[in-house]
Amino acid sequence: MKHNEIDTGKLRAYLDGEVKGDGVSALTEHVGMCAECQAQLKVLSSQAASVRAGLDFLPQPATAGVSPSWSAMRLRLEQPAPSAPAGWSPWRTWSLAAGGVVAMAAVLAFTVAPVRGWAENLLSIFRMEHIAVVELNPDAVNALENDQLMSRMISADVTQTEPPQKPQPVADAATASKLAGFKIHLIAGETPALLLFRTPISAQLKLDRDRLQSILDEAGRSDVQIPQSADGAVISMRVPAGIIAVYGNCGDVSERFQGKQPPASATRSKDASCVRLNEVPSPTVTAPQQLDTAEIVRAALQFAGLSASEAANFTQTIDWTSTFVMPILRGQLSYEKVSVGGNDGVLLRPKNMQSGEFTLHWVDNGILYSLMGTGDNTTALNLASQIE
Amino acid sequence: MGMAGTWTEAEFESIFGEQFARMVRVVRRVLRSDAEAEEICAEAFLKLYRMGPGGIAEGTAGAWLYRVASRSAIDRLRSHKRRGFEEQLDANRGDVADGLESDPLGRLIREERIAEVRFALAGLKVEKAQVLLLRYSGLSYQEIASAMQIKPASVGTMLARAEAEFSLHYQRQQRLSKRAPRLQTAKEG
Repeated sequence: MKHNEIDTGKLRAYLDGEVKGDGVSALTEHVGMCAECQAQLKVLSSQAASVRAGLDFLPQPATAGVSPSWSAMRLRLEQPAPSAPAGWSPWRTWSLAAGGVVAMAAVLAFTVAPVRGWAENLLSIFRMEHIAVVELNPDAVNALENDQLMSRMISADVTQTEPPQKPQPVADAATASKLAGFKIHLIAGETPALLLFRTPISAQLKLDRDRLQSILDEAGRSDVQIPQSADGAVISMRVPAGIIAVYGNCGDVSERFQGKQPPASATRSKDASCVRLNEVPSPTVTAPQQLDTAEIVRAALQFAGLSASEAANFTQTIDWTSTFVMPILRGQLSYEKVSVGGNDGVLLRPKNMQSGEFTLHWVDNGILYSLMGTGDNTTALNLASQIE
Repeated sequence: MGMAGTWTEAEFESIFGEQFARMVRVVRRVLRSDAEAEEICAEAFLKLYRMGPGGIAEGTAGAWLYRVASRSAIDRLRSHKRRGFEEQLDANRGDVADGLESDPLGRLIREERIAEVRFALAGLKVEKAQVLLLRYSGLSYQEIASAMQIKPASVGTMLARAEAEFSLHYQRQQRLSKRAPRLQTAKEG
């Protein structure tokens, strides 16, 4: 065997007895005469010994029988594949919340009487600074969805002034900050596997009094009367440009965010190393100033299935002009209030899942953050504290 | 083989019986508990089951499982690394079986060694950590090549590079650990 046919990989395989066939004797013969190969083998052998010494410290599992594991596996095989829980994706949550705000504004229009005119120069802007969660009854929401009541209420009268676009990859944080128009913050010491820029989304809802009233009547809510003066009022909602930073193995996240379906053969699923961070300046809602926001929300919550007293309790504790309300379906997500760097946050987890996935939302200095990953609460808060 | 697209219980049980325990042994080395290792492996089997036999080339179920499970385990190890060495060390408390180290200092030292090794592994690129984990768990070059979808002739090269890099990370971590006052405090305490 010639010297130039021997590389490090072949020598390493030789050390492990993994050179097969005739190659072994030829290699042995060459190494016996080649000082350079012998020196290299010595280095490789020493490195291998060092690795072996280290890895030998690593634990082995207590010997467990395969039978109990198979029994547990059989049970799991019989379960249907879990689908993503509703409201779990922050974009879905946000769009639901944004839609909810618009719907709430619309409901207010039904409930405020008399509305003293809808002049476009009398506007108030709601800017979100806090986060609150409202748990909705899934049955009531399903009923609304099944009857397409919510979509009928808002869709026909909504104009997307800035329609959603597919997020685009960007090269680095500086570019992302420039595009997004605010300084983005990333996890210190970590380089995102993917950084995506999302363009702003905005929509306007123009109230059509007669149409909305007929939908309410159909839904058995004739008690809610839309004043004639509400007709033609415009409510605007805007979600500014934002960024999505992806760390670890999030599977086909790039394709999915861009609306592509990867071929089945190339499908990669995310795993526990996957961390996603979304940042967006707080969405804004612009509506006629006369709106009594507590009234909007109370009516909307009742509309979504809360009892009158539950809705009243909830609305009494919250400043609706500065609170980002996240509707979640009872039984699907659990949540708890946490503090992230002194700011109020909420930590959501899917119920009935052992995976340990969390989504942490908080608002800091006018920016709404959502951090998704896997781990316990300390992990979630530690990760959040490393964002700078 | 069963109906197109689905495993029969017998064939899936056969794969499970052949691979599960060995897979758990491999991934347990970088995970914090037997339960976590079993969960990672069970997840890989679930994915395989849901893909059906049509989702992979015939005869490659074992390789596919090792690829998915070892990758998941290393990704999880890397996610732990983000929290720093001290937390890695804390997370490894209790990872030394009672029978292995009876005295508290010996146990502490061993836990620290485990954390150093895992921290060094987590600092490598995923493929390098993967090749080390698989090789030092006893997989042959052919098995590693199938699991990592590389040529068998490339395993030696990848392994040699991974070992060189691991040695550097490991030695550095050991130097840093020596500077930290943990052990000294423990000895004095």
